Amino acid sequence: MRKRTLTRGLAGIWWVTLFFLYVPLFVIVLFSFNSANSTAIFERFSLAWYRRLFDNEQIINAFGNSLVLAVSSSIVALVIGCLIGYGMYRHRHRKLGWLIVLIYLPIVLPDIVFGISEMAFFVQIHAWTGLLQPGLGTMIIAHVTFQIPFVALIVYSRFVGLDPTLFEAAKDLYASPLKRVVHFMVPTIKPALISAFFLSFTLSIDDFVISFFTAGPESATLPIYIWSAIKKGVTPEINAIATLMIGAVALAAVLSMLFNRQGRR
Amino acid sequence: MSENMTAEIADHSSAHPTTGERDGANRKASSIEMQGLHKRFGRDTVALDGVDLNIRAGEFFTLLGPSGCGKTTLLRILAGLEEPEAGSLVVGGKNITEVPPHQRSVNTVFQSYALFPHLSVRENLAFGLKMRGMKTAERQAKVDEIAEFIKLGDLVDRHVDQLSGGQRQRIALARALICEPDVLLLDEPLSALDAGLRSQLQVELLRVQKRLGMTFVFVTHDQQEAMVMSDRIAVLNGGTIQQVGTPDEVYEHPVNAFVAHFMGHDNLFAISAAEDDWVDTELGRLRLDPAEQRDAQDGWLLIRPETLELDGEIPEGYNRLQGTVAERLYRGSRIEYRLTVNGRSLMAVASNLGQRMHNIGDRVTISVCPEDLVRVAA
Repeated sequence: MRKRTLTRGLAGIWWVTLFFLYVPLFVIVLFSFNSANSTAIFERFSLAWYRRLFDNEQIINAFGNSLVLAVSSSIVALVIGCLIGYGMYRHRHRKLGWLIVLIYLPIVLPDIVFGISEMAFFVQIHAWTGLLQPGLGTMIIAHVTFQIPFVALIVYSRFVGLDPTLFEAAKDLYASPLKRVVHFMVPTIKPALISAFFLSFTLSIDDFVISFFTAGPESATLPIYIWSAIKKGVTPEINAIATLMIGAVALAAVLSMLFNRQGRR
Repeated sequence: MSENMTAEIADHSSAHPTTGERDGANRKASSIEMQGLHKRFGRDTVALDGVDLNIRAGEFFTLLGPSGCGKTTLLRILAGLEEPEAGSLVVGGKNITEVPPHQRSVNTVFQSYALFPHLSVRENLAFGLKMRGMKTAERQAKVDEIAEFIKLGDLVDRHVDQLSGGQRQRIALARALICEPDVLLLDEPLSALDAGLRSQLQVELLRVQKRLGMTFVFVTHDQQEAMVMSDRIAVLNGGTIQQVGTPDEVYEHPVNAFVAHFMGHDNLFAISAAEDDWVDTELGRLRLDPAEQRDAQDGWLLIRPETLELDGEIPEGYNRLQGTVAERLYRGSRIEYRLTVNGRSLMAVASNLGQRMHNIGDRVTISVCPEDLVRVAA
């Protein structure tokens, strides 16, 4: 009997967790389709808020900024993270403890600390050189910085999972260094690369804190827009943006997982 | 292999100008000359300590030795995957010591097979040709040709992870052969397979090598495998070559105790004194062929178990020993006896011809021809 109670108790924890995780999301999605301007009473189904959303130039701008930021930072992070991941793999036999810590640090560092320090840094540089005016450019740099460790670790773990003789087989079969990259390394880790790209993309779209501190006046992203709009109260319009973002991030996360699984097969 | 591989293989009788009496038809067969090769790992680990070795064109040559003897390092230097600290490597008359692996006409069959997981079997086979810039249509024709030659059948259209160990091994062999290298290197290619498949593939590999007349350099730690496969064997230990010779030379006349032990010999006895035609050992005084006499007084006497006769007729001049049967191992085609002579253990092997078997505890008279006794350096 006691065992059964315990099992039920544990199952209860599971359901309560799911409840608090998903019901708020569900409510937001639901009320984004509400015809009334209320976040409490659902009147009837309507796409009115979505229409208003797409008429709002500020939102379209913010959405554009988010997309440009996410895509460009992910591409840059993919290239650099890939090189670092390969470097970590190549030199894995050396004692790399402190280097690994360097790579992990941005992952565990609080975003706010990271954001504030980046801001202070960019402001200083701008004051001295006139370069790096806060805006999309500085945001891309900041995003690339926190995306790189994720990419590097995904690429590294994929390389570690390979038979090291494969690298020698490629050399042995007449592949020059460049051809080894094009015909062996990139195709072999392709699933990991795609997975890393989508993860970076998700991280960038999600990010508010670091973007907030490194953005300029013209480069508000969706999360920044939402934050400023929300001061006037949560409107169903915000719900509609949130719903679109949930959709986009869920899609990227699922794609990332699918490609990673395919690579492990 | 040439463009006309199958046709040439059919014509076994055509002797090749560079490979002499061999029936191989590979005009690209190359000789290998290694001189003073040194290699160390880290500060203290010496992998190769001055290796001089010549391998003839079209030869099936085996590097044999225990793990850590340097055989794999030597193979990797041939492939270009390791660089020697000193020494030179000449293949087919060209010094390739400094040539990177992707520019050497040398291909390797790796122990782990190293088939590319992101490619199909067909793409794996064509990889080397593609890297050398061969056109797609030509590559496909080559793949079909090699698939026919190695009898791959429908394996070509499978995915790599659908293959068994033996199938992977053959794909790895085909992937290397298709490039028609001057030299083919094989790094313990059969060690991951079970015994039955292993001996089947030994025969197959040998047949392929004889047909192509290509120079094969084979690495193994299995002396039986080395003897079955090789034209010549180099026995390595501690980064140096101990002996180079044909299988029978190495087995019947090992130059030192290490080679003798490694080739599976148990009957080695320390020589305490020697004269023109006899030696004193722990077994007693034994007569041997004066031609076998060495300058040194010490060393070992090797008695091959199969040269001993138990309770047989003893011709004039044969050595005679008294012993007791301590152990009998019935092997079917032969019977092994462990005898005790003068408190020493001596192995004898008799072919099973239906003669009476000796029982444990039996007193036996052991005879051996003086010419069958071999002196071995320490």
